[in-house]
Amino acid sequence: MTMKMVTLRIDEHTVEVPAGTRVVDAAKKVGVDIPVFCYHPKLESVGMCRMCLVEIGRPVVDRASGKVVLEADGSPKIQMAPKLETACTTPVSDGMLVVTTSEKVAAARREVVEFILTSHPLDCPICDKGGECPLQNLTMAYGSGTSRFIFDEKMRSAKHVPLGELIYLDRERCIQCGRCVRFQHEVVDDPVLDFYQRGRALEIITRSEPGFDSVFSGNTTDICPVGALTTADFRFGARPWEMKPAASICAQCPVGCNIVYDVRREAKSSGKPVIKRVMPRQNESVNEVWICDKGRFVHHYNESAERLTQPLMRVDGELTPVSWQQALETAAAKLKEAGKGLVTLAGGRLSNEDLFNLRELTRAQGGTTLLHTHMGGGEWTRQLGLNQGSNLGSLGNGDAIVVIASDLHQEAPLWWLRVKQAAQRGATLIVLNARPTRLDAYAAHALRYQPGEAAQAVAGLMGNHKTPAAFQTAREALAGAANLVVFFGSDGLGLTGTRALAQTCADLLMQSGHYGRPNNGLVGVWQHSNDQGAWEMGYAPAADLVGSLKKAKVALLAAADPVGDEPALAKALAGADFVIVQEMFLTASAEKADLVLPVAAIPEREGSLTSGERRAQRFYPAVPAPDGVRPDYTIAAQLGQRLGLELEGRAAGLVFLRLAQSEPAFAGLSYQALSTAEEQWPIVGRRDLYFGGTTYDNNQGMGTHLQPVLKAGERPAAVAAALDTELMDAGDNLLVLPHTRLFDQGSLVRFSRLLVERVATAELRLNPATAKHFGLAEGVAASLNLNGADASVIVRMDDALPPGAAWLPRRVGVPLWAPAAAQVKVMERD
Amino acid sequence: MSQYLLLRHRELPDLDKLSGYRAQGGFETFKKAVNDMSPAEVLTTVKESGLRGRGGAGFPTGLKWGFIPNNLWPHYVVANADESEPGTFKDREILENNSFQFLEGLMLASFAIQANVAYIYLRGEYWQLAKQLDRQIAELEEAGLLGKDLFGSDYSLNLYTHLGAGAYICGEETALLESIEGKLGQPRLRPPFPAVAGLYGKPTVINNVETLANVPLIIANGAAWYRSFGTEKSPGTKVFSLSGNVVNPGNYELPLGTTFRELIYTHGGGIPHGRKIKAIMAAGASSTIIPASEEALDTPMDYEEPQARFNAPLGSASVIVMDETVNMAWLVSKTVNFFKHESCGKCTPCREGTFWMNRISHRLVSGNGSSADIDLLDHVAHQIQGKCLCALGEFSTMAVISGVEHFRPDFETLVGN
Amino acid sequence: MLQGFMTTLKSILEKPVTIQYPEQKRPVRSRFKGRHVLKRYDNGLEKCIGCALCAAACPADAIFVEASENSDENRYSPGERYASTYEINMMRCIFCGFCEDACPTEAIVLGDNYELSFTSRTDAIYPKDMLLEPVPEDGSPTPQKVPAGAFDRAIPLMQDATD
Repeated sequence: MTMKMVTLRIDEHTVEVPAGTRVVDAAKKVGVDIPVFCYHPKLESVGMCRMCLVEIGRPVVDRASGKVVLEADGSPKIQMAPKLETACTTPVSDGMLVVTTSEKVAAARREVVEFILTSHPLDCPICDKGGECPLQNLTMAYGSGTSRFIFDEKMRSAKHVPLGELIYLDRERCIQCGRCVRFQHEVVDDPVLDFYQRGRALEIITRSEPGFDSVFSGNTTDICPVGALTTADFRFGARPWEMKPAASICAQCPVGCNIVYDVRREAKSSGKPVIKRVMPRQNESVNEVWICDKGRFVHHYNESAERLTQPLMRVDGELTPVSWQQALETAAAKLKEAGKGLVTLAGGRLSNEDLFNLRELTRAQGGTTLLHTHMGGGEWTRQLGLNQGSNLGSLGNGDAIVVIASDLHQEAPLWWLRVKQAAQRGATLIVLNARPTRLDAYAAHALRYQPGEAAQAVAGLMGNHKTPAAFQTAREALAGAANLVVFFGSDGLGLTGTRALAQTCADLLMQSGHYGRPNNGLVGVWQHSNDQGAWEMGYAPAADLVGSLKKAKVALLAAADPVGDEPALAKALAGADFVIVQEMFLTASAEKADLVLPVAAIPEREGSLTSGERRAQRFYPAVPAPDGVRPDYTIAAQLGQRLGLELEGRAAGLVFLRLAQSEPAFAGLSYQALSTAEEQWPIVGRRDLYFGGTTYDNNQGMGTHLQPVLKAGERPAAVAAALDTELMDAGDNLLVLPHTRLFDQGSLVRFSRLLVERVATAELRLNPATAKHFGLAEGVAASLNLNGADASVIVRMDDALPPGAAWLPRRVGVPLWAPAAAQVKVMERD
Repeated sequence: MSQYLLLRHRELPDLDKLSGYRAQGGFETFKKAVNDMSPAEVLTTVKESGLRGRGGAGFPTGLKWGFIPNNLWPHYVVANADESEPGTFKDREILENNSFQFLEGLMLASFAIQANVAYIYLRGEYWQLAKQLDRQIAELEEAGLLGKDLFGSDYSLNLYTHLGAGAYICGEETALLESIEGKLGQPRLRPPFPAVAGLYGKPTVINNVETLANVPLIIANGAAWYRSFGTEKSPGTKVFSLSGNVVNPGNYELPLGTTFRELIYTHGGGIPHGRKIKAIMAAGASSTIIPASEEALDTPMDYEEPQARFNAPLGSASVIVMDETVNMAWLVSKTVNFFKHESCGKCTPCREGTFWMNRISHRLVSGNGSSADIDLLDHVAHQIQGKCLCALGEFSTMAVISGVEHFRPDFETLVGN
Repeated sequence: MLQGFMTTLKSILEKPVTIQYPEQKRPVRSRFKGRHVLKRYDNGLEKCIGCALCAAACPADAIFVEASENSDENRYSPGERYASTYEINMMRCIFCGFCEDACPTEAIVLGDNYELSFTSRTDAIYPKDMLLEPVPEDGSPTPQKVPAGAFDRAIPLMQDATD
C-alpha cells in the first residue's frame, strides 16, 4: 500500500508528508514548533485549547475548469482563510500554505496563553511540574509579561483531590485540555475519567470505584501539560532539575519497557541517592511512551532496610555474617566437591550476564542448570520467536494475532495495549481462553475452551481437533494473514500444560509458515523479565524439580525461592547437602540455606535483559549499590576464579561479549549495538517545548533483537516426546486453576506501600453453580487443601466464569502454580 | 388565503388533535409523498422553495438535505426543539398547538433522505411537550402513519423524543448530537459535518422545528406558491418572537422582509408609556445591538439586510426591544453572564473569555469599574472573536462589542468618579 | 625624628579605631549580608514553602532542600508544600544573596549575624531549626493544627510577596 504524499509550504519550508497528516505534525518534520496544549500525537485531536491557531491558505481553484489559478509570476494563487485555523485538527492538502510567524498568529498565541493563565494559580514554586511544564514553557515563549486579570478575581478550586490512591488532581491548575480523559478513553479503554459540569466550572472527575481504577493511571501525570495530575509517589518529592536520569529497563514483566530512573540525594536516606520516580523512555518498538503502574510504582524494594548486605553462613545451625572471602571460599569448595551433583536453579529475574556466568560455572562442574518457572515452551519461542524488524506497532490490517491462555491486561499490560491497538488498526485478533478476559472486547474471535484444553483449542484452530463451528471461522480468518504473532501464556495452566500448548502453537506457526521473518512468531507471556534470555541460553525447567533438588549435592539458587513457592520443594531442598542462595532478601529459601550471598538489585548495576519479543536491552546503574552486595555475574565469576575457571566478572559488557561469542542467538551483539539510539517519531521527548514532561528521549539505546536461531529455510527440530496432559478433572474435589495478577504478593511489590490496596488477595472466583455444588457462598471464608498445604481463601461468585472449576491468583500465599485438585471446606466463623 | 402558514391554529379549530389536523388535510401530503413521489422529488421541491433554516443560521434547507451521501447508511433526522435562545418562544407555540404540522414536516424530511429513525431533541424544560409529543407519536403509530412499511410501501419510520438537561449549548447541532448519544453536551469539531458523520457517526440532517413545520405546506402547494411569501432571497413567512419594552409582546408570523418598524409599532403596539425606543436585539442574546435609528427601524427583517447594514444577523428572529430607560451596560452584563453560565468549557477562549468578561462587566455594573475596564472588556471580546470552536463563543462577544461601540456613554455613567 | 614623635603624640590624643570585639560589636549596615534566617509569618507559620528555588539559584551549591506535604493537622507553611529538610552549608556559602532574590515568599533573608565558626565540617551545615527565626509573640510553633481550608495557598492572602 503506497501512501499518497502531499506537498505543502510551512513558512519558508517545503515539506512532503503522507496525506492525512495534521499540519502540526508536518510542521514538526521541518522543525517548526506550533505550540499545543490539548494535542498529543498519541491521542485523537480535538482542537479544544486553540493554542495551535495558524494562518492557512489554499490554492484557488477555478470552478469552471477545475484548474489551479495562477498568479502573474506563474505561482499558484493562494487564498488565505479569513479565520485562523487549528493546526492540530487540520489535515494537510496539496499546495497549502501555513503561516506560523505572522503578527496575527503571534497575537493569537499570546492571547490564548493569557486566557489560560486567567484561571491558573501560577503556583509554579510549589508545583511538581515546575521546570518541565509545557504551560510554563509556552508562557515563557509566547505569553505576555504582565497580567491584565485581577489576581483576586481568580477562580478558586480544590487543590487536593485524590482521584484514587495513586493520582492526585489539582483542579486549579487544570487547563481542561482533556488529555487525561482522552488517554483513558481512547488509548487504554479504561473510561474512568470524565469531564463534569461545564464552562469555567468544567472539571475532571473519576467515575470508578475505587477511584481511577486503571493500571495505566500514572501515564496521565506524564501527559498532563500542567501540574494538575501528580502521583502520590512523587508528589513534592523533588524538583525536576535536581534529579539525574538513568536509563533502565523495567524488570516487572517480559515486555521490557524502556524506563528512566530519576535519582537524587535524599536526607531521610542519610544523603544517599535514591530513586524518586520512574518515567517512560520513548521506544516506539516496545512501549511507545507508556508504562504501567506496576513499572512506575514498584521501585521501592531496593531501598528496603530488609536488604541483605552481608554474606551469611550457617554456623551451628544459625545464619551468621561472614566475610565475602570466607563465603566465596566455602562455596567454591562445596562446588568442587559437588561436581556433577551441582544443581543451579535460576530465576528469570536474572540478567543475561548473570545467567551466562552461572551457566558457565555450572557446566564446568558438570552440573545441571535449571530455570525456576511454572511455564514451559521456551524451546519453541527460542526457535520461532520474533526477530529483527518485528514491531507490534506495525501490525495492522491483513495481519493476525492469536492470544491464548493469557490475560495480557494483567500479565503484561503494555502488550495488551499494543495488541489492542493492532486490532483497532485492523489486525485480526483471536483470543482463546477458558475464561473471559479484557482482550475479548477487541477480538474478532473470542473463543472458549474447557479448562486445561488450551493445546486442543489451538489444534482446533488448525483443524486437527474436533471443535465448535466458531473455531472454523477463526481458522478461516487466520488463513489469509500476512503476518501472525502468537502469544501463549499460563492462564489456568501449569508447566506441562504450557509446554504442550507451546508445541501446538509452534505447529500452528510452522504449518502456515509464519516464522523466520519479521512480525511473525511465537511469544511466551513469561512471568519474569528475562525468562526468554534464560531459555536462549539453554536453561529449562526441570520436569521433576522435587527429584532434582532432592538429589542435589549442592543446590545453587539464584533469584529463585522454591521454599517459599511450594511445600513440596521445601521438603525436597532439605534433601540437598548444601544450599547456596543468591538473593536480595532473606527469602524462605535463604532462611533454609547454608550460605546466603547478597546481590545487587537492577537499578544498582549494569546488565541486559531479553524481552519476550527476543529484544535484548541494556539497563544502566542508577543508584549506588549498598556496601556488601555484588552482582550475580560477579559472584559467579569470583566462584569460578577459585575453581580455576576463567570467567569475566569485571564488567557486564565484557560478560556480554563472551555471551555473544558463545551463544548463536547473541552472535554479533554487543553493548554498543544495544545502546544505539534511533530517532523516534512522533517527537514527544524532553527537548520538546510542549510535551515537556511527557517522556524521556531515548538516547541510551533501543535494544536489538536476538539473531534467529534457525538458519534460513530450516525447520525447527521436532519434539518427539508425547505430550502429557495436565489435570483437568478433579473428581470429587474442586479443580482450582491458577492465573496471574499484575499486583500480586510477589517479593518486590510489597515494598511499595502505595500499592497495598491494589494487591491481589487470595480470592477464589467461581461460577455460582460450581459454588453451590461445593456448598460455597459469596464472601465466605473457605479453607483449601491443595498441594499438601492448607490455605484460607475468600469465595467470590463470578457469573462470567465457566462452571466446573475455580480460579485463584498465583503468588497470593497459596502454593498454586498448576491446576490442582483441592478439598474445600467452609471455615467456621469466629 | 390564510394569513398563517405556521401558526394556523390561531384560525383553524382543533389543530392540536389528530382528527382536527386530518380534517384540514393533514398527513395527506406525507401519504402522497410516500406513495407517489420519490425522495428526490420531495428534496427538489424543498430546494426550489428556497426555504432557509429557521434556527438562526438561515442555511438553505434543501441544500442541507442534498449533502447527505447515499453510500453511507443509515441516515437520521433530528428535529432541534432545544429552543434556548433568550427571547425565543416560537417553537414552543408551534409544538403546543400545531405539533402535527411539525411532525408531518419531520416525517417528510425523513422520507426525503430515507431516514427510518428521527429524533426530536427538546430542551429539558419542555418535558410536558415531550409527554405530549410521545402521546401524539403513539396516536400516529396507531393510525398507521408511523411504523413499518407505511401505506403498503417498503418505507418505515419511527420517531423518538429526547429531553436535554438544560444546556444552551445543546441547541448547537453537534453538541445536540453528543447529548442524544448520552455524552456531555460539548460541540464537536467540524469537519466532518453532521451531514457526513452525525448521530452515531452516520449522516444526519438537523433542522429547527419551525423549518420542518414549513415543509408540509411546501410539498402540498409547491415551491412557487411558497416563494410568493417573503423576499427573493429569503422566501416564506417567519414567526417573530417579540419581547422587551413593547406594548404587545408575543409571536407574530409575518413574511420575511417585514420591517422592524412594522413589527414593533404596527403589530407590537409600540413602546409603552410613550417612551422612545433605544435599541433592538434581533437574535436574542446572540445579537448585535442595533441602535434604533430611523434607518434601523426601516430595515427589512430577512437574512440579508440587517446583516449587511448593521452586521446583525437575524438569527432566530427573537426581537428584543429596549427603550430609553435601559442602560446598555446592564444589558451587556446580562448577556455576558448568560454566556458565561452557558459556555460548555471545551475551548479556551470561550471558557476563560466569558468568565473574564463576566468579571469585568460585573465590576462595571456594580460601580467598581474604571474606564480602563471598558476598554479591557472590549479588548477581551475582540480577543475571543475568531478563535472559538463553535458559534457560542463568537455570539458572546456580539452584544459586548456592539454595546461598547454604540453605547459607550452608558458604560461611562457607571464608572465611579 | 621630632616629626616622628609628633605623630606619636598626635595619635595619643586620637580616639582609638579598634574596638574590643567580642565585648564590643560594630553595628552592621542595613544591606549587610550575614547568616541566613528563615522567616515566619506573624502566626508562626513558616514562610518557606520548600520550592528549592534558592538551591537552584545558589552558585555555590550550598543549599539543600527537601519538601514534604502539609496537612491541616500538621501545618508548617501555607499551601501544600513545606521544607522538611533545609540545610545550608556555611562553608560553601559565598553570601551572594541570590537565594534571597530567588525566594518567591521572602522566606530566606540574609541577616546581620556574621559570627560563624565551627569545629568540624559537619557543624558548618546549618539545619532548618538553626536557620528558622524564633516563633513570634502571637504565633505558635510549627507544625500547627489549623482549621481546614484556612491556609490552602502557598502565596497566602495574609501577606503577598512584594516585588
